[in-house]
Amino acid sequence: MNEIKIKSKNLNVYYGEKQALFDVNLDLNEKEVTALIGPSGCGKSTFIRCINRMNDVIDICKVSGNIEIDGVEINDKNLDVVSLRERVGMVFQKPNPFPKSIYDNISYGPKIHGKGETKSELDEIVENSLKKAALWEEVKDRLDEPGTGLSGGQQQRLCIARAISVNPEVILMDEPCSALDPIATAKIEELIDELKKTYTIVIVTHSMAQAVRVSQKTGFFHLGKLIEVGKTEKIFKNPDNKMTQDYITGRFG
Amino acid sequence: MNFVLIFLITIFSLSLFFYGRSKTKSISIEKNIKLNALPKFYGYYLVLWCSIPSLVFLLIWTLFEPVIIKSIIIETAANQGAIFNDKNEANLIYEKIKAIYAGTYFGDIDTILKESALSYAKFINLFTNSKIVLIFAIVIASVIYSLKKIKNNNKARDDVEVILKGLLFASSLIAILTTLGIIFSLLFESIKFFSVINIFDYLFGTNWSPQRAFVRDASAITAEEYDELKDAFGFIPLIAGTSFIAFIAMLVAVPIGLFSGIYMAEYASVKIRRISKPIIEILAGIPTVVYGFFAALTVGPFFRQIGENLGLTVSSESALAAGLIMGIMIIPYVSSLSDDVINSVPQSLRDGSYAVGATKSETIKKVVIPAALPGIIGSVLLAVSRAIGETMIVVMAAGLAANLTINPLESTTTITTQIVMILVGDQEFDSPKTQSAFALGLTLFIATLVLNYIAQRAVKKYREKYD
Repeated sequence: MNEIKIKSKNLNVYYGEKQALFDVNLDLNEKEVTALIGPSGCGKSTFIRCINRMNDVIDICKVSGNIEIDGVEINDKNLDVVSLRERVGMVFQKPNPFPKSIYDNISYGPKIHGKGETKSELDEIVENSLKKAALWEEVKDRLDEPGTGLSGGQQQRLCIARAISVNPEVILMDEPCSALDPIATAKIEELIDELKKTYTIVIVTHSMAQAVRVSQKTGFFHLGKLIEVGKTEKIFKNPDNKMTQDYITGRFG
Repeated sequence: MNFVLIFLITIFSLSLFFYGRSKTKSISIEKNIKLNALPKFYGYYLVLWCSIPSLVFLLIWTLFEPVIIKSIIIETAANQGAIFNDKNEANLIYEKIKAIYAGTYFGDIDTILKESALSYAKFINLFTNSKIVLIFAIVIASVIYSLKKIKNNNKARDDVEVILKGLLFASSLIAILTTLGIIFSLLFESIKFFSVINIFDYLFGTNWSPQRAFVRDASAITAEEYDELKDAFGFIPLIAGTSFIAFIAMLVAVPIGLFSGIYMAEYASVKIRRISKPIIEILAGIPTVVYGFFAALTVGPFFRQIGENLGLTVSSESALAAGLIMGIMIIPYVSSLSDDVINSVPQSLRDGSYAVGATKSETIKKVVIPAALPGIIGSVLLAVSRAIGETMIVVMAAGLAANLTINPLESTTTITTQIVMILVGDQEFDSPKTQSAFALGLTLFIATLVLNYIAQRAVKKYREKYD
């Protein structure tokens, strides 16, 4: 078992009057893929958006409780979210490349954080990020073409490369394959397998099969509560909770 | 008379609706057949058939009646010995005849006029009577036709659709034809102007003083007179003044409008937005004349005062004052349009930027604005064409002297202002001075058309990106 990287304690999230998460206590292990499953609206996305404080963007969202990364509290007003997000990257449900060239899409993050001061350093970061995202071979001859011109699967790998470009420790993935076809999905899953050697990955997914394929640990959310968490194998073969059993066998959700 | 007719036709058509509806219902019950459409469609069908042909006829008749009567009357007057040398004199006599008929003519009435007025009265009567008869005939014919149709259980729903489609098409046709009419009237008058003044003298001349051509008949200008006139219609000072004032206006409107648009779209809370957006938009609702007051009475003298304190000579009518106020007037256009385009940049792009650790202002500067740029350019170009077309503020605040200058403290003038000045008051319609207004109008029209076209292309290009 790897060491614990992220630890949430009594995490509660409210959107205005509505409570979206109830006392979530969840530990995520380093250099491992944790899958979060559950029906729509159960709070899995809300949970991962707490890890890089993306919920700050939403005015009415209030977060209480604790999240620690490497033992340091991040749900703290005084925390610098810029450096937090440098450490915790994110990939979204729908590929969202900037309407810029492929090169600029990747170099955007490093430039913001003052990495890659010379052109050659930047070139290297771009090349490495694209290689890690398994996209380099496909785009190396057309780095100055717009990122929006790539196919859906390529766009999503571009977004993964963009997340990698600032050299994070954690990558959050919010249903990264839900807008992709099966072949593109397979490529992304392969990539996730590779990336977990370097990064701690949290993936939200609606596909049970995907959770089984890519993750080592699985958490099941329902109505804002973490119902059960454990080794992926155990959750899918022999869950403790009746609700988990019903969900993974497709009886509700 | 026409109003009574329109009223009667309308009332009658509407009552036919109820008749058609109940009639078809009873037909379907009596003969035990299934109607091809709901009963109300038969009602609509009758209404449309009864009203449209007669109203269209009435419209056409009303348009052509005066023209026809006029030509008949002028001809009878001529037959009776009235003498007129050209069209204008003929028109004059016709107006006299009309005035006699209306009882508002107080001059001497000779026999020719008297006879003509009598025949005018006769024709008016004849035309009015035949109009009424024809309209009744049309109404009866179309009602009989449509009643026969609905008794045969026609496909009233489809027929109503066809008629409505025709009506909508006719409306758009009217809009297009009106536009074409405006363009052609501009074009023809401009051609008259350019047949007197060489187009190159107009486009590249640097002196604008059209009053020199006052009361000169365009068709009778001699070669010597032309030499004297040809440098009176130089377009350069006007386009320079127009662009200069528009430029000053944009210097004010683009940064303030854009920044307030960014604030509204990205930073303002829902509450602030709800209050401040309407307030900014009120600026767009202030009549330009009021801006003109403000520019002429407050801002102009203010600059003059400052200038005097600094030892500069400032005209109380200055390009700076006009441009500044015009800029303020345009702020809401830029701000509201750029607010809209910035809002339509998908949130996912902002999320992508935040997720790699960019701050809000970095995100706006490097992702949101570039993505919204074509739309922003479009809004700026629309604002420019608004600035170029603006008249009132310039009339009141920038003066009328066509100075070719780049000193913002001097008075200057614009195309629209000159058009106003040329056409205000009594004018000889065939003097080159008056005709030059149309040439200016045409030039302005082409300039704004090009700007609008570019603006729309830019906005369209932007839309394609995210749909």
